[in-house]
Amino acid sequence: MGLPDTSRDLSSEVEVDAFRRLFPLRFYERHLSESIRPDGRPLGRARDTTIALGAVASADGSGLAKIGSTTMLAAIKMEVMTPSMESPDEGCLAIDFHMPPICSPIVRPGRPAEAAPVVSKQLSDTISSSGMVDLKELSLVSGKAAWMVYLDIYCLDADGALFDAALLSAVAALSYLQIPAVSLNEDGRVVVVSEEDGGKPEKEPVNRENRKLTLKSIPFSLTCILHKNYILADPTAEEESIMETLVTVVLDSSSQLISLYKPGGPVLANTSAIQDSIALTRQRVRELQKILDEANSGMEVD
Amino acid sequence: MRQIRAEIGAVAKADGSAVFEMGNTKVIAAVYGPREVQNRSQQMNDKALVRCEYSMANFSTGDRMRKPKGDRRSTEISLVIRQTMEACILTHLMPRSQIDIFVQVLQADGGTRSACINAATLALADAGIPLRDLVTSCSSGYLNSTPLLDLNYVEDSAGGPDVTVGFLPKLDKVTLLQMDSKLPIDIFENVMQLAIEGCKAVANYIREILLENTKQLEYRRGL
Repeated sequence: MGLPDTSRDLSSEVEVDAFRRLFPLRFYERHLSESIRPDGRPLGRARDTTIALGAVASADGSGLAKIGSTTMLAAIKMEVMTPSMESPDEGCLAIDFHMPPICSPIVRPGRPAEAAPVVSKQLSDTISSSGMVDLKELSLVSGKAAWMVYLDIYCLDADGALFDAALLSAVAALSYLQIPAVSLNEDGRVVVVSEEDGGKPEKEPVNRENRKLTLKSIPFSLTCILHKNYILADPTAEEESIMETLVTVVLDSSSQLISLYKPGGPVLANTSAIQDSIALTRQRVRELQKILDEANSGMEVD
Repeated sequence: MRQIRAEIGAVAKADGSAVFEMGNTKVIAAVYGPREVQNRSQQMNDKALVRCEYSMANFSTGDRMRKPKGDRRSTEISLVIRQTMEACILTHLMPRSQIDIFVQVLQADGGTRSACINAATLALADAGIPLRDLVTSCSSGYLNSTPLLDLNYVEDSAGGPDVTVGFLPKLDKVTLLQMDSKLPIDIFENVMQLAIEGCKAVANYIREILLENTKQLEYRRGL
């Protein structure tokens, strides 16, 4: 096992790294002209995606989604609350997105990330407008008790495509959610029935039937970067910082458009660019649907 | 002691990172540094500045937490971890720089302080920061006239004393010692010794993990 020719290899390696830091745009354009990206992917391909369900045992539902290095952990905690007057038959879903300082060198304890509230709002808008969760399913006793679902998403590693990974982890957590069994107390209050005390005749579980949420149209998304005539799917953090024009397309499993988000940026998109992004997203939706189904069936074996 | 499991390099973006599990307590630590000091006024000309932040995820405890950071317990634990790690980092080798240690608790089931210190040690080693020695930590308590090692949440809330020890295995020195509740002195000696034994066991495990990691790196570089 001889040593590689270190002197020559190191010096050319140092030059590539220096070029990448000093002239990042030219570095990327050299690659784009060959229709490839520095990590070897073709322009339209997303990074390897994995989903792990039930990562947090103490939560009612959880999912860990990884797209390349971007890691998101979503966990759901459920509490019983009184529903509002206008909608006595509906529960509530509260979505919160956090970017703790571990995820990226630019997030500091005193200065939270700019992206965090943006992604948080995007997520809550997308999930509520997609109609994935029927709030009426979260109702326990009409007018008196309903579930409040707290969905917290933590970014553990921020390497681009934050919204995609966050949405995927939220969807995974919701699909894995086990609603705890509850019963009515003597004073008419709803109390969680613990699994251990098996046969207590007075406490009839109120909702033994629906332990899992039925998810209707599940949203999947893909973020693309537009740069000159190129469309790059699933950018890394480096690509996002250099080429700033992002387009996020959210489709549901029946390929209906749920949301389209292009927050400005130096590149103007014509209709063909948008249509190409939507086509890329359609492909991605099929991939993601397969990955989610595999993860779900893997858990059902237990 | 509960089952421990550790993994290095969980966060790709960080200079060093580790996930540490002690039973159901799961903690992720990330280290950024040495890097340029962000607040020039705090820069120290002869050594590195060490900063630490401890935060718990909203879903980590049984009931959802409202205020994961900035509450008194988190601030206190951040300070404790910072001072413990500062004692063993060779800060004089990196003047005018800053080392950030961020610890996030994903699942809390007792012994979070110890899991955080162990995770921080692994993350610092992964980042290649020069350390005087590994810092390992373990907690122990005394319930029903028996010393117990590595309490979980239920045992901790039972009201007995809870002793947390931070230990440098090679130098055989104690760097952190915290105790609450009441305990007679002779029993305290036993409980502390038990915690130190626990620390030594954790230290052996950490060394194995680091050795395994180095072998992987060697293999990947083709040596």
